[in-house]
Amino acid sequence: MNRGHILYHLVKADFLERARSYSFLLTLGGALYIGYAIITEKAQVMIGSGYRGIYNSAWVGALMTISASVFLSLAGFYIVKNSLERDVRTRVGQILASTPIKKSVYTVAKMISNFTVLMAMVGVLMLAAFGMQLLRGEDLHISPWQLWSPFVLAAVPAMAVTAALAILFETIPLLRGGFGNVAYFFLWTFALVSAAIGTDDFIGMRVFHDSMQAALFKVDSSAGPNFAFTIGNERAYRTLVWEGIEWTPKMLAMRFAWVLIAIALALLASAFFHRFDPAFETAWLKRLGKQQNRADVEPKLRQAPDAISLHVHLTPLARSATTNRFVALIISELRLMLKGLRWWWYAGAVGLWLGTVLSPDEHARQVFLLVAWIWPILLWSKTGCREAQHSTGALIFSSPMALIRQLPAIWAAGAALALLTGSGFAVRLLMSGDWQGLLAWTIAVLFIPSLALALGVWSGSSKPFEALYVLWWYLGPAHFTPGLDFMGLTTTSRNIALYALFTAGLVIASYAGRWRKLAYA
Amino acid sequence: MKLAIENVSKTYDKKAWALKSFSLELTPGVLGLLGPNGAGKSTLMSILATITRASEGRITWNGADIASNPDAIRSVLGYLPQDFGIYPNLNAVEFLEYLAAVKGLNAATAKRRIDELLTLVNLGDVRKRPLGGYSGGMKQRIGIAQALLNDPQLLIVDEPTAGLDPEERVRFRNLLSELSGERIVILSTHIVSDVEATATDIALISKGVLVAHASPEQLLRGVEGNVWEWVISSTELNSVRQQYHISGTVRRGDGVHVRLIAHDPPNGAQPVAPTLEDAYLFSLSAHRAMVPA
Repeated sequence: MNRGHILYHLVKADFLERARSYSFLLTLGGALYIGYAIITEKAQVMIGSGYRGIYNSAWVGALMTISASVFLSLAGFYIVKNSLERDVRTRVGQILASTPIKKSVYTVAKMISNFTVLMAMVGVLMLAAFGMQLLRGEDLHISPWQLWSPFVLAAVPAMAVTAALAILFETIPLLRGGFGNVAYFFLWTFALVSAAIGTDDFIGMRVFHDSMQAALFKVDSSAGPNFAFTIGNERAYRTLVWEGIEWTPKMLAMRFAWVLIAIALALLASAFFHRFDPAFETAWLKRLGKQQNRADVEPKLRQAPDAISLHVHLTPLARSATTNRFVALIISELRLMLKGLRWWWYAGAVGLWLGTVLSPDEHARQVFLLVAWIWPILLWSKTGCREAQHSTGALIFSSPMALIRQLPAIWAAGAALALLTGSGFAVRLLMSGDWQGLLAWTIAVLFIPSLALALGVWSGSSKPFEALYVLWWYLGPAHFTPGLDFMGLTTTSRNIALYALFTAGLVIASYAGRWRKLAYA
Repeated sequence: MKLAIENVSKTYDKKAWALKSFSLELTPGVLGLLGPNGAGKSTLMSILATITRASEGRITWNGADIASNPDAIRSVLGYLPQDFGIYPNLNAVEFLEYLAAVKGLNAATAKRRIDELLTLVNLGDVRKRPLGGYSGGMKQRIGIAQALLNDPQLLIVDEPTAGLDPEERVRFRNLLSELSGERIVILSTHIVSDVEATATDIALISKGVLVAHASPEQLLRGVEGNVWEWVISSTELNSVRQQYHISGTVRRGDGVHVRLIAHDPPNGAQPVAPTLEDAYLFSLSAHRAMVPA
């Protein structure tokens, strides 16, 4: 069997396995929502001071492509970054590892499968683009090239790189877990920033930026070099006619180069891919102090088989031995959360705590509390989904009062972590008598674990919280954005009532999610 | 102490029944639940452990319906699922302490109990090692220990000896015998010798239906006079397989010694004393003959 044939069947099997899952329908639904947001002008591209293009094929195609590239290069990464993990979880990986398949064929196949999933969502938006131009009705002449060429020339390379980075991150042990999820957000931010400063980026923002700016200067030479992809209620109030990008050979070569880079990244991933070798996994975990070599751990038989003690005795327990130990359960959940952390994590948390207490007010707000509440993100992200991730649900959910005792204990442990890591700032607020700030801080302490718990319970995965929380943290508290600043860092950006309401809603959602999972609540 | 399963059925997609009108009444003792792969044993176990809900029927624990009062059974339940996970960063003591807290066991009792259980399952020496480094058999022993944490009145163990070495298997069988006095133990397995060693009652299940519920002695009596040993040449083996239900073959100098189950034995076959494995195969083949595939 040739490599092409093997590649085809690997991609097909992987894609079908994903496409037949419930989550794939959800992701297609997400793509449709992006289309809806654009049609209703909740997301749009604005250039200069309040300009947008009229909705001709070129502008609609560009707008849809930018939205697809921006959203799917971020959210899509988290959606597809599980293809290797799935082969480990389903144990199909060990079967594949025993076949003659080359590592490079495997990682490239996974990259193509990731790419196919992402392109399915892009495909939905390509169809939506057609409908959008007709719905907006500003220019009813459909030019297929102008409408769809941006998807092919900008979104395809963006999706290829996203797909390749997902498999690369999965093969590198350090980037495989939550740390990689957070690191990718900053890599994505860096790509957007690099587009703004004039470098070609894999997302493809730069090519649109340059072409649209040129069209703007033709109609308004005094317009500033503003190019913004906006989300929210801000509306453009002036229009111009933009006829699309004139793709030069250099631009096409750059876009094609990103596809080659994507293939190179997938091949690079094969260098880190260890064919599901448990010895490598064990060695890696051992370095992290998480796992011992099995041969070292297996205790020696204490007696020869012919001398086995036949007498086995277990002392009966008094019926009063069972009590409602809620506080003990919270401590157990907190211990479970913190177990396995290295000394440097605690050193970092203490340093941040001291920073919030001792530094000037501005630094305490803008740096130390901000970082102190992103520091435990990988601990919060496990709340609500730990049972699913470690398959301990059958042991825990067959225990009495699993819904009314264990779930609140998980939430309380998460809140205790937020309280401990952010308490330095609370001391500061207390000393200054800033009661409203203290109330906002308290709501944040309750909001963060509620968000983690709800997302964890409903998704069974830590990724949604890791992705959403970093984004929210970056757009909200880090920029004091009103409505998004859940920490309430400034009087103008805080909204205590809104987050109290969110917290209550998320707690209810957590209960509903767990109740749904339990056969008998 | 009584567990009553009344006409319990379970379907996952409205087409195939994992369990169909299953009824059984259990009192203290060890029930061996025997059946081939996919017979519905694990489905029944997870329904009894309140992990999944029956599509039809009712289960009561001492008269209390577990659908309306699941904690009635959960508070006295010890459950070892067929597939379960552990938290790899915790050591054995920490993992059991965590589950003791989840089960509501008080701290002092939990500490004593964990010490005793770890010694019992022969993990005392590695109690402080992270569970992530445990072998499959050691993980299984941790599973056994957690199931016994709250001194359960109802102990449900699903394929408990999977992955255990011969010594641990003997110890586990002995443990079940020791525990069986004042509690109901349900031992689900397809390993007949595990049941033979411990069960006071046996329930045979096939295709989601209860085939037989009897004591081991009753099952053995049912197959008496139907088990034969026949010496044939190795060239005849394939054609004999087509004609008779063979429960075992041994190659010796004088030919192949075939153990077969049949009402009408072939010429030259000698009657032999039946084993529980013969009784199991006999009951299943009789059931399959009655029920179309």
